[in-house]
Amino acid sequence: MEACTAVAREIEKVLTKFTSYSDHASNTITSLHSNIENLQTEIDQVGADKNITDPQASILNEAMGRVKEAVTRLSSDHRDLHSSVSKVGKAIDKNFTADFGCISNDSVFSGDKQQLVNEVICQHFFREGLLDIAEEFISETGLELQEESREPFFELNRILAALKARDLGPALQWAEENREKLRAQNSSLEFKLHRLAYINLIKEGPLSVGQAIEYARVHFTPFVYQHEKVIQSLMGCLLYVKGGLENSPYSDLLSPHQWSEICDVFTRDACSLLGLSVDSSLAVCVNAGCTALPVLLNIKQVMQQRAVHNMWNTKEELPIEIDLGPSSRYHSIFACPILRQQSTETNPPMRLICGHVISRDALNKLTTSAKLKCPYCPVEQNPADAVQIFF
Amino acid sequence: MYTYDPMVSCISESPEVTNMPFWLGTARVVRLHTETLEPFFFGGARLLGLWSEASELSHLPAKWARYSHAGEGGRHESMADVSSIEHPTLKVPYDVLNKKFRLAQKTLDREVCHVTTAVSELERILFTDNQSASQISSLLGGVVEKLSSFKRKAEEATQEEVECGRVVKRRVEHLRGHDAPSPATVAEWRRTRLDRLLVEYLLRAGCYSTATKLASSRGIEGLTNLDVFLVAREVEQSLALHDTSKCLTWCHDNKSKLRKLNSSLEFNVRMQEYIELVKGDRRMDAIRHARKYFTGQEPHHLPSIQRCMALIAFPANTDVSPYKELLSPSRWDLLISQFRSENLKLYQLSSQSAFSVVVQSGLSALKTPHCYRGATGHNPDCPVCQPALNALASPLPYAHCSQSRLVCHISGDQLNENNQPLMLPNGYVYGEKALRQMASENNDTIVCPRSRQTFNIRDAEKVFVM
Repeated sequence: MEACTAVAREIEKVLTKFTSYSDHASNTITSLHSNIENLQTEIDQVGADKNITDPQASILNEAMGRVKEAVTRLSSDHRDLHSSVSKVGKAIDKNFTADFGCISNDSVFSGDKQQLVNEVICQHFFREGLLDIAEEFISETGLELQEESREPFFELNRILAALKARDLGPALQWAEENREKLRAQNSSLEFKLHRLAYINLIKEGPLSVGQAIEYARVHFTPFVYQHEKVIQSLMGCLLYVKGGLENSPYSDLLSPHQWSEICDVFTRDACSLLGLSVDSSLAVCVNAGCTALPVLLNIKQVMQQRAVHNMWNTKEELPIEIDLGPSSRYHSIFACPILRQQSTETNPPMRLICGHVISRDALNKLTTSAKLKCPYCPVEQNPADAVQIFF
Repeated sequence: MYTYDPMVSCISESPEVTNMPFWLGTARVVRLHTETLEPFFFGGARLLGLWSEASELSHLPAKWARYSHAGEGGRHESMADVSSIEHPTLKVPYDVLNKKFRLAQKTLDREVCHVTTAVSELERILFTDNQSASQISSLLGGVVEKLSSFKRKAEEATQEEVECGRVVKRRVEHLRGHDAPSPATVAEWRRTRLDRLLVEYLLRAGCYSTATKLASSRGIEGLTNLDVFLVAREVEQSLALHDTSKCLTWCHDNKSKLRKLNSSLEFNVRMQEYIELVKGDRRMDAIRHARKYFTGQEPHHLPSIQRCMALIAFPANTDVSPYKELLSPSRWDLLISQFRSENLKLYQLSSQSAFSVVVQSGLSALKTPHCYRGATGHNPDCPVCQPALNALASPLPYAHCSQSRLVCHISGDQLNENNQPLMLPNGYVYGEKALRQMASENNDTIVCPRSRQTFNIRDAEKVFVM
């Protein structure tokens, strides 16, 4: 927070100074203005062809001196504001890193890689439902996307747009078409859609209760085994339709939250059905990068002080561990607790008899005369009993 | 028994002691007494629900540990990322403000000059004998007129300065939103950040209309440096049409800064004009142009000037190098790219967009060897496993990992004390929760998703990963 606060403080100072300067300037000039106009009327009364008197002349002289002094002071006052203005710039430079480019490698995204970057951006636009912007982008960059990579997004976005406009039709149709796959995923999307359709019928009032019951009979039957509880409560709410659901224990059925939830459920299930990630990959990547960048900038500074160069080229790995939080862990990584190294194809993790896991190299190092004592517990064992495991 | 004591005191103390000192302290104790203490320690830690912390002992040198733990702090981390990439967001409007300030100062000085001239004229009359009232009155009128013009100009100028200041202020306020208390607001802020980064990247890549459209559809025009780039776009377009006037006006507007940067842009534009004159066979005009603009140039331009002068002797379709190159139309493209880079330098923008820097670090931080081990290792949620990003990330380094982080291959959940890793007889490891669920649905049998072998849940064995 400090960085922002420092800049905010300086800019606030500048704004106050400018405002007060502007007030001061306009007051000064207005008073000078009226002063001179008074003098002018006085002189006009002298008569057009007569000379002014000496006292008048000295008053005028004095007034002119004042005018000169005042305007010069206003100008130098304004010049003095520069120190506050430049303080803003200094605060920005001090608190924000100007040269983050040193971290990255120019060649990685240039040349023919540019095309790939564009493809990623375009997919992100599709993903976010910004179809018109994606089209604009394609026409501006001349990007060639395969038609089939776009097709699913069009459909998803169409259905999502309909859901947002509270139209369940397209979503229900989609869910029915993909019923088998959805069931394999253990998704309750179809039931949730039917449930909303049923709630919609109830909302219309007591007259449509018959219709709602009919709907429930037709559409809820296949889901009774999985969602018995929910169906019971949906049936229970029928009792309150006459009195108005708003004031009943079932009022939460009417909340608009139901609709935002169905949109989320739909996106999640549809994405996993199509083998897509739930969040836009680009967004995940950028958030990870924003976490990683400050760490990398810091470590770069430390390394430069110790004259270690080219952190991006010489090593296969980043120089430091970056913890992106549990939600951004997509693959298991086993680091040998003895050797402090990531496991590789040639140095895989091995499970000892006692259940503790160390890498194969560590196992070989710890073995003495065909005996191995687990480094974590007192069990002694034959190293040949350890088995390779796969995370 | 005496080795048991320090551990017990450590564990019993842990709730009061903060994370870092506790674990940095205990890490040493554990290493000293690993052999004797192990059963007690992990037994006790698990009882106290400290398993996850016990397995997260930091193995980095202590002074680096704070970097790697930055992520856990949440707030601390997000602060640092704001100061790492948001420099251009604030610096560019500040530069605009500074420029406005200088302009305002110039205007004020000019107005002061006008007022004092009018006043001096009046004073001169006052010192002579001919002090006719009508003449003085009209001179006074002149002073009044100059004063009101001063007032108007001063008001306009400060108004503009205040406007520019407000732009900076609005952006600072926006940046402060990054650590809002509610996660939904932070998520929204991050979305906006991605949009801002994208807009900047698109502008740099020359996709102006996409950038403008994106900014307006997200309502973030005020938070991006759209204006700066749109001015640049006009100049670039006119240069592409072989018109130098806009570029020269731009050079004139930013004269002092360009001089500080030691820019040769204006000279190159003038040289191009000269070459165009030669191409059009207007050689006398060319010489006149050279006389006018090539004099008083920096000494290091001399070789270029000499070459230009020699060009006069060649026909427009010459095949003699280097004059052939001078006459080539590709020089216009060079001018455009030079203009682009000078424009970025002028606003202290880094030569690479924040977007590509951030994406590169992100890819690197996410990249694991699994992402490159064929389809079995792929996780559809992992960005680096997506084909396009996978190809982009291939030259980047892998993430460094000195501490095991295990996730269940079936559910994607973390493996820890609540979801312990279990090994099937074939060596594949999965989370307990996922295996139990699979077993409960299939009569205690489990199908390994990767090897398709079938096992009984009772054959799954525990795995302890430190």
